[in-house]
Amino acid sequence: MSHCGRIIAPPLSRRAMLSRCANGFGALAMASLLTERGFGARLAPEGGSWEAGGLHHPAKARSVIFLYMDGGPSQVDTFDPKPRLDREHGQPIQARVEPTQFNNVGAVLRSPWPFRKRGESGIPVSDLFPLVGGCVDDLAVVRSMVSNFSEHTNANYFLHTCFGQQGRPSAGAWVTYGLGSESEDLPGFVVLNGGLIPPGGLDCFGNGFLPASYQGSVLKAGETPLANITPTEPTAEDQLRKLDLVRAMDRDVLARVGDHDAIESAIANGELAFRMQSAVPELTDLSGESPETLRLYGFDAPYPPTRSYARQCLLARRLVERGVRFVELTCPGVGHDRWDQHSNLKVGHEDNARAVDQPIAGLLRDLKGRGLLDSTVVVWGGEFGRTPMAQGTDGRDHNPFGFTMWLAGGGVKGGTIHGATDDYGYHAVQDKVEIYDLHATILHLLGIDHTRLTYRFSGRDMRLTDVHGRVVPELLA
Amino acid sequence: MEPPLPSRSRRILRIVAILLMAMIRPAPAQEEAPSPEGLAFFETHVRPVLVERCLSCHGPEAQKAGLRLDSRAAALEVGGDSGPPVVAGDPDGSLLIEAIRYDSYIQMPPDSKLSDATIDRLTEWVAMGAPWPAGSGPEDEATAGSDPFDLEARAGHWSLQPVVEPEVPEVSARGWPRNPIDRFLLARLEGAGLSPAPEADRRTLIRRATFDLTGLPPTRAEIEAFLQDDRPGAFDRLIDRLLASPSYGERWARHWLDLVRFAETSGHEFDYDILTAHRYRDYVIRALNEDVPYDRFVIEHLAGDLLDNPRRHPTTGTNESILGTMAFFFAEGTHSPVDVREEMRTRVDNQIDVLGKAFLGLTIACARCHDHKFDAISTRDYYALAGHLQSLRHQYAFLDPPDRIDDRVLELQSIRSALAAGLPRSEAAGPPALPLREGDALFEEFSGDSFDGWFPSGQAFGDGPTRPGDVTPDPDGGLLRLEAGWAHSGAIATTLQGVLRSRTFEIESPYLHLLVAGTGGRINLVVDGFEKIRSPIYGGLTIGVNHGDGPRWATMDVSMWQGHLAYLELADGASSNYTGGTSGLWPGDGWLAVGAIVTSIHPEPPVPAGEAKPGPARGRVAHGELPAEAASLIDRYRQVAAELPEPTLALAAAEGTGIDVPVHIRGSSKNLGEVVPRRFLEVLSRGREDRADNRLALARRIADPANPLTARVLVNRLWAHHFGRGIVASPDDFGAMGQPPTHPELLDWLASEFIRSGWSIKHMHRLIMTSSAYRMSSRLFPEAEAADPTNALLHRMNLKRLEAEAIRDAMLALSGRLEPKLFGPSVPPYLSPFMEGRGRPSNSGPIDGDGRRSLYINIRRNFLSPFLLAFDFPSPATCRGRRDASNVPAQALALMNDPFVVEQARLWAGRAASAPGASPEEVVDALYESAYSRPPIGAERERAIAFLREGEAAGRAGVEAWADLCHALLIAKEFRYID
Repeated sequence: MSHCGRIIAPPLSRRAMLSRCANGFGALAMASLLTERGFGARLAPEGGSWEAGGLHHPAKARSVIFLYMDGGPSQVDTFDPKPRLDREHGQPIQARVEPTQFNNVGAVLRSPWPFRKRGESGIPVSDLFPLVGGCVDDLAVVRSMVSNFSEHTNANYFLHTCFGQQGRPSAGAWVTYGLGSESEDLPGFVVLNGGLIPPGGLDCFGNGFLPASYQGSVLKAGETPLANITPTEPTAEDQLRKLDLVRAMDRDVLARVGDHDAIESAIANGELAFRMQSAVPELTDLSGESPETLRLYGFDAPYPPTRSYARQCLLARRLVERGVRFVELTCPGVGHDRWDQHSNLKVGHEDNARAVDQPIAGLLRDLKGRGLLDSTVVVWGGEFGRTPMAQGTDGRDHNPFGFTMWLAGGGVKGGTIHGATDDYGYHAVQDKVEIYDLHATILHLLGIDHTRLTYRFSGRDMRLTDVHGRVVPELLA
Repeated sequence: MEPPLPSRSRRILRIVAILLMAMIRPAPAQEEAPSPEGLAFFETHVRPVLVERCLSCHGPEAQKAGLRLDSRAAALEVGGDSGPPVVAGDPDGSLLIEAIRYDSYIQMPPDSKLSDATIDRLTEWVAMGAPWPAGSGPEDEATAGSDPFDLEARAGHWSLQPVVEPEVPEVSARGWPRNPIDRFLLARLEGAGLSPAPEADRRTLIRRATFDLTGLPPTRAEIEAFLQDDRPGAFDRLIDRLLASPSYGERWARHWLDLVRFAETSGHEFDYDILTAHRYRDYVIRALNEDVPYDRFVIEHLAGDLLDNPRRHPTTGTNESILGTMAFFFAEGTHSPVDVREEMRTRVDNQIDVLGKAFLGLTIACARCHDHKFDAISTRDYYALAGHLQSLRHQYAFLDPPDRIDDRVLELQSIRSALAAGLPRSEAAGPPALPLREGDALFEEFSGDSFDGWFPSGQAFGDGPTRPGDVTPDPDGGLLRLEAGWAHSGAIATTLQGVLRSRTFEIESPYLHLLVAGTGGRINLVVDGFEKIRSPIYGGLTIGVNHGDGPRWATMDVSMWQGHLAYLELADGASSNYTGGTSGLWPGDGWLAVGAIVTSIHPEPPVPAGEAKPGPARGRVAHGELPAEAASLIDRYRQVAAELPEPTLALAAAEGTGIDVPVHIRGSSKNLGEVVPRRFLEVLSRGREDRADNRLALARRIADPANPLTARVLVNRLWAHHFGRGIVASPDDFGAMGQPPTHPELLDWLASEFIRSGWSIKHMHRLIMTSSAYRMSSRLFPEAEAADPTNALLHRMNLKRLEAEAIRDAMLALSGRLEPKLFGPSVPPYLSPFMEGRGRPSNSGPIDGDGRRSLYINIRRNFLSPFLLAFDFPSPATCRGRRDASNVPAQALALMNDPFVVEQARLWAGRAASAPGASPEEVVDALYESAYSRPPIGAERERAIAFLREGEAAGRAGVEAWADLCHALLIAKEFRYID
């Protein structure tokens, strides 16, 4: 079967697309959607730097890896040390307590893990993350994140789409809509399912009102990573014979009804799908990776979830290498309820951290070693943080009022701490960063002005950041 | 009846009032010129803070919340959405100070708090009278105001003008038009120097019309019959046949379900079932098949529970009309919201969004936080509708016709009366008044003759509380005396179900004490309309009553919800049960009796239960006391009671206490403005006396022929499905941000004709489809494409891709697996290994959905079918009148490798290849005609035969080779594109 070489075809007709892209953005987005190599063609790396091209301004990075920490890791046990918790451990909290999900408010709970200053920057990281701590000079730690929701599902939708309800496009969909894909045979937005799909389900990765071409493709761990990727015919020849017949029929139908855009695009997509059947197995075939690389990620770690997440992190690098625009990793199952330690904080957080610490550090080092960190934004965090006081005696409840996320990579100012929470680590009090701001900043790094990435729906020019958001200059290198 | 505002809201209103007064009252500092010291203080300590920390959002560039802080007039007189933030001389009454102290709902500056020293300085400055040099800011700009909302100007928008039936234009090509539609289109084409495309051939036409009306391909026999019909009017007869097919309702119900974001679960964390949702889907199918007038259909959706003479199901006699109201409840719902008021607002916002778009083509929800930026819709309009929606309640309605349960209950009641009348009257006095303490307030003691002030549903509670002398036959054949003063769901029969709902009240006291008895009874407190009552957080708002006869107190700690609006549900069945990850209905085989309800500041009930009121069962009538005829009456009673059927229940709207809602400034519940009485949109109410202050009146206003939108919006939807694009290309937005109509006169002619036909949807289908325009070929001709590149003038038919459901259903039709059964509970969805997450059902449904059409597959918000999603099945978030027809590789992968597709190809091949006595050529012909409504053309037959031979040569024996051919026919584009 011959391949015409076209990649992602226009999702709607060229005309329909133009009518939806708002003033200004339209022409540019069209260019990236319809040209063969999309945004990447105009963004060729020169001297390893990505400071060229860009949708609205020079881009610092061309792809994103989002390490999504499902359930909400505790800021005061990871990246935001609070001595006051040690001093007041076991005492009632001396602050107004916000309504919580379980309404079972206990005493101040100190962190079970010591913090150490790490790297040249001396940024403190707790013993939950010793290896990520070793990369701290590459991280911009945002200690003043806030979210609008206390419930997982709303907060997950909000974190991914900047809207607390189902039905809006995920950030990965927006980015792919804005920049197109650079891969000829893989989708632009890939979700590596580590085992846990977050509350809110697959709609966290949906295309919302954007065309379906931008929805996240979920790749599972294991034999068959993508649905319907394995041919059902006994041999490749059997499938080829079938598809050759289809091709002949399609050619005839075009001749009869005229060169309708829609049919041409469907033909092109058939060809991309055919290529994906071999590209995806090639992607997940790790036999070409060196033993050192595998060890770096933790393929030989004693804890099975670490090995499983190691594989996801390595796949993330391979996806980015192949030009995939936005990669999101969900967490591996560790037998607890994600990072959602309403009780038994000590064991639960320890297992979760054990599963991800080495693979994440391995990913950062590997990206750096290959010169890919400069063109990749790595983002780490959950939908909210956790309360400084206990839920019951040994857990922590949801806390959207102040928590930590970090960024690393292309255009990010490493070795910095941004913002602060109060003495308890409860509320962000300095340089608050909203979810909108986080996305505005990520888009900025990709060369996109978040106020100009729009799509006409429901009578409005919709944006990822809705009517909010500002780029956080302190996070930029 | 309008309940008081929650206390917090009252507090905020007070603040607003103080601010308003401050505007009127001359501030002390205003009368005399500020002192030089004061001005110096301002310049040294205040202005730098304003410039550095405030003006980027509240200055010349941006005016968040409508506020500027760059002049004295702006800060002290004009203010923003919440009024002027500075009250000279009164720091504690100044919102600015409240905000910078971070002890308000507004915390400014938002990124971080000012230092304590700075806060002190600003406070001191306000206390000094807020000295500010005159002429140092753009007062004129600030006072000019920035509200451009001008209803009159916006009311001029085209879609808000009355529908006026236009003259049908004259055309030159007199031979082409078959009906007025064609003349409207042709006049425009002729004006542009274009002529309509030639008529498509008959095979294309029957394929197009059959998919359009039924979502299924025509069978070979149907094609043959149509080709053979050479009498005039063959196509008209075809349309009539298709419109009469039950598949028509299934096809078009699915279009309608997109508009009401139909789903059978509520998503969020556990993806709870929306119980009985399939009854709504079936209602829509029936309504379309029966061609229920659309105005009636609209009224049923908005107020079907309030109609005196509801439509009834043709065979079961159940209430049809009320089922329309279920559409209010297909919204997503949070399982344990931390902020239950916000949850309510989100729900109401979604309801307004769907109502506005689906019926009116208006984006009313855009006016939640500010007047609509483009359309004639104000925030007052939004909150007027929000009042209607906050007033409606969630219920499981009793659908049965009177003769199924009600008539039997009447007989039981008359036997009870007869039995009671035959007994000597005992003392007539009711129970003594309940002794109350300071801090107790009696909410209800059921001492009257009726449930006045309550909203009863079902039959179990009868028509009032128990009265002195009441009796009921007991299970052992004896007769039981009942105590008076109980709302008692077992007084008639324990098998009956029913719910008593209280008026809506503001929760003022922290405790609710209810004196109860029963088994299998349920007390719910519905706070802010939140019905998913379960732990965490809400577990205490539902109490099971299971101890039997003796009176006991049940206490609810409602301190968390003081200031919220709530109502009580006293339920015997017909109430939802959220336990763990599942939802269901509580069984109705027990009984509940409630004798008193007290709100209180005390955690303990007012008196021990034994001293409050005697329990509902008073003791059996001694055998000797029974009159002679009692035994036969009791026998009859027990016989009728034993035969009482289970009620037919469905989720529906119920009327509750009317609630008027204040404007939420900037959409914030913490910043409330004027209370807006319930009504319809102002722009569509001008010159009308009736205020539409109840839901039924609102429904009638929406369905009123004088409403310029309802008919236009619906005919445009029909048009869009037939032609692939609406006359208004944005079918859910007829506002200024939507697309203007390409043929406004045609749209108005269709709307007029629709109303004239008695709102008959089938009439409009017939009219549209029997036009010459509908019969045009979709073939591209370069000259015409150059002149009309978007086909806006409809010089040809548009090519359409089949929707997800039609693709799947057509495969089932070809394979022979299609199960023609209509209606009924949904088939569980097939769960592929890729469908993971919380709320995943424990069992997967069959991969082929038991052969049922796609609209019968259970729609689980968090587990939507990947196959349907790949072909643009919309996420059920809000009204979607236009689906995408995207092109993604996942579609090709699904067609190539999805086990469902492969299985249907195999079944189809097995059926076709086994046709007795058929040659391979004949089988190939049959396959092509079934799939594409045409036989193979040119070399196609030979190519197919060659493909089979090659397959067999490669070891694909017999049916395998045929299955490969069938599979190829499904993958080829012609299968899913309708020309």
